[in-house]
Order: sequence, then structure tokens, then C-alpha cells
Amino acid sequence: MIKTLRCLAVLLLGLFALPSTSLAHRLDEYLQATIVTIEPGEVRLQINLTPGVAVAEQVLFLIDHDHDGVISTNEATAYAKLLMRDLILWLDQRKLELKLTSSNFPAPTELRTGEGIIQIEFSATIGPLPSGAHKLILKNRHLPSLSVYLFNAAQPRSDSVHVTRQKRNDSQSTGEIEFTID
Amino acid sequence: MTAKIILASALSLYIASCELNSFAQGNPATGKATGEIANAANKFLATLDEGQRGKVVFDFKDEAQRKRWSNFPTAIFKRAGLRMGDLTKPQRDAVLALLAAALSPQGYEKVLQIMEGDEVLRKTDSGGRLIFGHDEYYVSFLGQPSTTEPWMIQFGGHHLGLNITLVGEQSTLAPSHTGAQPAIYELEGKSVRPLGRETDKAFALINSLNETQRKQAILGFQMHDLVLGPGRDGQMIQPEGIKGSDLTEKQREMLLDLAGEWTGIMHEAVAKAKMDELKEHIAETWFAWSGPTEKGSAAYFRVQGPAVIIEYAPQRLGGDPTKHLHTIYRDPTNDYGAKWRKP
Repeated sequence: MIKTLRCLAVLLLGLFALPSTSLAHRLDEYLQATIVTIEPGEVRLQINLTPGVAVAEQVLFLIDHDHDGVISTNEATAYAKLLMRDLILWLDQRKLELKLTSSNFPAPTELRTGEGIIQIEFSATIGPLPSGAHKLILKNRHLPSLSVYLFNAAQPRSDSVHVTRQKRNDSQSTGEIEFTID
Repeated sequence: MTAKIILASALSLYIASCELNSFAQGNPATGKATGEIANAANKFLATLDEGQRGKVVFDFKDEAQRKRWSNFPTAIFKRAGLRMGDLTKPQRDAVLALLAAALSPQGYEKVLQIMEGDEVLRKTDSGGRLIFGHDEYYVSFLGQPSTTEPWMIQFGGHHLGLNITLVGEQSTLAPSHTGAQPAIYELEGKSVRPLGRETDKAFALINSLNETQRKQAILGFQMHDLVLGPGRDGQMIQPEGIKGSDLTEKQREMLLDLAGEWTGIMHEAVAKAKMDELKEHIAETWFAWSGPTEKGSAAYFRVQGPAVIIEYAPQRLGGDPTKHLHTIYRDPTNDYGAKWRKP
């Protein structure tokens, strides 16, 4: 009950923040933009997360655990790992294990404006792949009721990797990349 | 500054720029353009005191400053350099003269209209924490103006991030951001659309495609924002949509004309050189679309080829998305003039 009331309070706080910043800024959406880089031996996910003004408090509630108004290193890592648990990455029907590579969190005051961007990078070792066709699938289940998504394959830097096709569901919460290895 | 003063200054500078540009048309070498731009930059620097000069010129190798640009208003994103609102009128005029020298008349007009739109936003913002308006734009340089050594002009604020890198006879506008909010407004009885031409040309192109072409061009999912907006330096995505080789000759011309709305922001000599490069790669340049195709609706599009990436994204930020637009212009191989700069 207390938890429900607290959630309601943060939602109301977000809504009350609307009039002062609504002219220029993301409002009631949490934008999760992912660029997937496929390289020989490794897959990298570069994710930019932008909470809108109306949902920033809800997102901050998950990050700033002790609610002291500061995002500590431990809190940043814990949130990145929470996100990581909501991501499922398959390569040719094999589930890949993600590793947190880096993260950058703006101050809560900036996040509350609707323009602060959290940047998180994950990687997964895929080992040497046989020549031929492969398929990578990413499913993002993080905060679906608040979120909108962008999913894109990066242009491979390696001459031996060729992206042949990309598919997404309508919301882009799930994306597939078909590629070949020489 | 009132709108009238700004417009009067802009008009006189526009006439001056036309004189400069007509001279350049006779000798359309990009090297000559660099000389004119460097002259205008030096004239501006000469109006500054020592303290101001110390704030406006950065080392050319200052990577943090090179990347310090954004679509955000100044209250959110702190820019360095000199703020227009802190300059005297002669100094502001010198900045505008620099822009008039560096940009085409159409590009200069677009920049003024974006800034004027932000002034409209300032007047309609009811007591928010954000700050908008003409005064909130910043100018800075990396390196000293030169016709031989590399240097860079940065000018930007809310919905504007111009990054012009000049290296001898070469120069590039990539990466740069333009945007508009409101994307249509009234000024002295006239309707102004800072990004109106690119919007209309994109709808004309998508509506020129036949059913088979549309199936290729139209992405089957929603696009909520720019993929490679500010802060996405050094990244490049896989192209999608319809390839130039699958367009008719007329449609390829329309695609080039659309891209010209971004490449043509720069001085004509520079814009012509860039357009020649785009023409060379037109068969490998892609056009992608997401959203309705009825003119006037909110739709995302992307132009992507070996020498260019352009994105245009209406913003669903609580109002009519057609009235709040973000765009980005990049060069996959030459952002910040990377290929001309010594390692």
C-alpha cells in the first residue's frame, strides 16, 4: 500500500512538472535507443535512454535507491544491471550473456528536464562464427508501459561482416539483424 | 533585441552577402570562399576585447569543445564561447556578417528563421525554467581563421548546431543540426516555415514513388526520434529504404534536391562541391520513410549514402509533432573534416 502511494506520488510529481518544460521536451515517454554493432567475435549494444518530463521521476525512483538526489556509482551500476536483465539477446537461437561495458548518468536535475540522456553500453562475446548467414535478435522488456524504442544495426566496421536485413516489431522493442560472415 | 532590429540588420547583411556571393559565383572555387569566411571571422574577432577573445577561441585540437553542441536550450546544455546576448550590437552584427559570409543566402535565411522561431517560443513560454530567444545563441572558434591551416566555426543554441570545419580550400558543415519550434509562425503578417522547403520536397518525393517503390522506402515501424542526433558522433547505421539505383532519373533529381536543403546551407561554392560528390554516389544513396505520406502529416525520413546522412524527425513532445522538427546532417566519412585533418 505504501509502495503504491509512493508510486502515485512520483507520477503526480512528474505530471505537475509538465507546464514549465512542456514546450520543448519529451513528455510521457521513455526513449530507449539502441545501436547494435556486430564485429567478429563480439556484439555491442550502445543504448541511449531519455526519460520524458512526466516519467523522469518514475525512472529516477528506480535509479536513486536511497532518494538522496544523487546517482552514486553503485546506483548507476545497479540500474544498468536492471536494464541488462530486461534485455534478451539471441544469436542463431543461442542466448548470449551480456556484460556491462560502460555507463554515463547525468545528474537527476538534468534528467528531470526531459533532455538528460543516460548512456549505457553492453557487450557479448560471440566467439568465431562460421562463414554464412546468421541472425541476431534483441528483445527489450525494460519498462514497456513507459517506453518507446529505436533499434538499429550499426554499419559493420569489419569487411567480413555484412548486414543483409533488419526487422522490427512496430514499437521497435524487438529487432532482428540478419547478417553474413565471409 | 526587437524583431525589427534583427530583421533590419539581417537584411543589410543579406545584401552584403549577396554582393560577396555574386563575386564568388564568378570565381566559385572553395578556396576563395575560405578566404571570404576567414576575413569575416577576423573582422568579428577585431571587435572583441582580450577577455572576450580568450573565451571565444579554443585550440583546434580541443575535442571536448568540438563536440560541445546540442539541440537543447542553454539552460539544459551549457555551451562555451560568446553568447549573442552578451555582445554589443556591432559585435552581434559582425557575427551575423560571418554567418552571411559562410552560408548561402538560403542557408543564412534558414538560420535567422530558426532563431526567430526560438524568439517566438520565448514569448509564448509561460514562465518555464528554460530560456529561449535570439540572445541564447553562442559563437566559438577552434583554431584561428586561416586560408591554409584547419579551423572551425561553431554557432548554435536551441534547435541549431552549426559546425563548420575549414581546411584550406576544403570545408564542411558536417555534423550540423537544424530544427524548428514552432515550425510555422507569423512574422509581420507573413507565414514563416524555417524547414518548409525540406518538408515539402520530402513529401513530393515519397508521393512520386509507385507502389513497388513505396514498399521498399516505407519502414514498417514507428520512428520516435533521430537515430544519429547530437551526441552520436562516430556512429553509423546500416542504410534502409529504397536505393537510388531503384529510383527513376527524375526521382534521383528530387532526392538530390531534397539533400540540397542541408548541403546548400553552406556557401554556394562549398555546397556545389558537396552536391557534385552526392551526384557521384546517387545510385548508392538510400531514402527511407516512416509515417503517413499525406502532405502535412508527421513523418520521419532519412537520406543516407556514402557521403551523407540526413534525418528529419517530428517530435511527439506533447503538442502537434508537425510543429516541432529536429534534423541532423552528417558525413559518414568526413564529420568535422576528419579526412582532411592530419592525425
